[in-house]
Amino acid sequence: MPYSEFWNPKNEKLPREELRALQLHKLRRMCEWAYATTPFHKRKFDAAGFKPDQLRTLDDIRRIPFMTREEWMESLMEKPMFGDLLATDPVNAIRYHLTSGTSGRTPIRVLDSTKDWDWIAEMWCYGLWGFGIRPEDIVYFAFGYGSFIGFWGAHYACEKMGALVIPGGAQTTEARIKQIIEMGATTVCSTPTYALHLWQKAREMGIDLAREGKVNKLICSGEPAGSIPAVKQQLEEAWGAKCGDTAGMTELGTIMIFECSHQPGGTHIIEDHFIEEVLNPSSGEPVGYDELGERVVTSFGRGFIPVLRYRTKDMVMKVPASTCSCGRTWDLYDGGIRGRWDDMKLIRGTNVYPRAVEAIVREYPAIDEFQIYISRRDDMQDEITIKVEIKPGHESEWPDLKVKLAKDLAEAHEGLRFNIERMDYGVLPHFELKAKRLVDVRPVAQY
Amino acid sequence: MTATNTDLLGKPLTGQEQELLNVYEALKKLARQDDLPPCAARNVRRALSSMWQVTNDLNLQFEQLYDVGV
Repeated sequence: MPYSEFWNPKNEKLPREELRALQLHKLRRMCEWAYATTPFHKRKFDAAGFKPDQLRTLDDIRRIPFMTREEWMESLMEKPMFGDLLATDPVNAIRYHLTSGTSGRTPIRVLDSTKDWDWIAEMWCYGLWGFGIRPEDIVYFAFGYGSFIGFWGAHYACEKMGALVIPGGAQTTEARIKQIIEMGATTVCSTPTYALHLWQKAREMGIDLAREGKVNKLICSGEPAGSIPAVKQQLEEAWGAKCGDTAGMTELGTIMIFECSHQPGGTHIIEDHFIEEVLNPSSGEPVGYDELGERVVTSFGRGFIPVLRYRTKDMVMKVPASTCSCGRTWDLYDGGIRGRWDDMKLIRGTNVYPRAVEAIVREYPAIDEFQIYISRRDDMQDEITIKVEIKPGHESEWPDLKVKLAKDLAEAHEGLRFNIERMDYGVLPHFELKAKRLVDVRPVAQY
Repeated sequence: MTATNTDLLGKPLTGQEQELLNVYEALKKLARQDDLPPCAARNVRRALSSMWQVTNDLNLQFEQLYDVGV
C-alpha cells in the first residue's frame, strides 16, 4: 500500500470550522490544567481576572494574558532553576534542555516527561513526513547533540518514522562530509548556514555533493534563511536536493511550522497542536491575512510547562491554507519566520532588518560568509558595512559585485548607503548552529 | 473498556479508533498498578506514551498523564 502524503490525514485535512472547534476544546483544557497546577499561570490569570470557563469561542483567547520571555526569565531568577512554571513534580521529567542563548540573555531551562518528549518528536514527524521523508530514507544529522534542543526532536522523529538515522555528533566538517557520502545519506538536517558551509568544504575536498552524494532532501531549521528564496536556491543547486524549511523554539520544545513537499514558499502551521495568532506588536490587536505581525503561540503539547499566548517577537505574515496546493487545511506563514521585531536596526533614520539584508546578499553566489557591521563615526554618524568573504575561484567577480551589491542594498533601503568590504577568506566566523552575523559596536546610550 | 464512543468533536469513533482507544485505556490501567516489575512498569509507560500520541493526534482524548509518571 502506498504511503499517505500526510502524517495525520484526519487532522491535516480537517475542515477549518472543525479545526477551530478542536482548538477551542484543547485551549479550555490546557487553561484549566495551567490554572490548577502552575503558580505562574494562576497568578497571571487571577491578576487579569480570567477564568478558563470564560472561553466560549476561540475569540475569547484574547482574555488570556500574554506570556513573555521576560516574565519567564524573572521567574527563573527568583526561583531557580525552573521558576514557578512547572505543572508537575520534576521527578516526572526524563529530559532537560535550555535555549541557545543567541541574544546573550539568561537561558530558558525546560523539563519534559516521557509523553512530552514523545510529543516533541511527533511534531517533527508531521513536518518531516510532510516534506517527504519515509522509512527508506537515510537521514544525517549535522548537529552537535548538546543541551541546546536543536534537532534532537527530529532525530527521534526519524527513528519513529522508521528511517535510518546517522547522528553526526561532534565531528569535523570533513568527517561529516565523508560520512554523508559513504553512508549514502538521502536527507541532511542542518542549519541553512551550515548546509552551505558543508557544501563549500566539500568543494575544497574535491567533492561535488550534487553529483557524488545521494542527498535529495535538505531539512533546514534554526535560522530564518531556510525560507529566503536566494538561500534556498543556492542550497538546492549546491546539493542537487530539495530544501525544506522548519522552525521551532525551545520554549515549545519542537517545531510549530514546516514546509511541505509542494514547497509553496511558506510553512504550514501545525494547527491541531498549536494556536498561532498574528498581532500588531504595538497594539496587541490581531492583523489579517497578508499583513505582517508578531507571532503569539499557544501550545497544546508540553503539559510540564504550559505555554499560553507566548509573545515570540517573530515577524510573520499569515496566508490561508488555499495558498498551497497540498490539500492541508492548515494556514501558512508566507516566507516562514521573516525575522524578529527586536532585530530591527535604525541606521540614519532607515529601518534595517538583518534577514532582508541576507536575502539580498545571498543573491550573489560568489559570496561565502558575510557579516553586518554597524558602527558610529565621530560619535555622530551611524555606518553600516557588509563584510564579505568571496568563495575561492570567484575572486575576479569582486569589483563588479562590490558595486552591484551596494546598489541593490541601497535600493531596498530608501537609498541608505551600505559600505561593502572584502575580507580575506576564512576571517569571518562560520557557524554550525544559529548564525550571529550582526555586530553592532555603537556605544549604548547612557542616561 | 471506555465509556466514550465519540471523538473530541463529537464524531462517532470508527472501529479502528475504538480499538486504539481501548489499547490506550488498557495501558493506562496497567500503569496504575504499583506491583509491576520494573521491566513491565517502565515499558508500559513507554507504550502508553506512544498511544497518547496516537489518540491525541486522532482527537480521541486530550489529557495529561503525569499522575502515572508519563
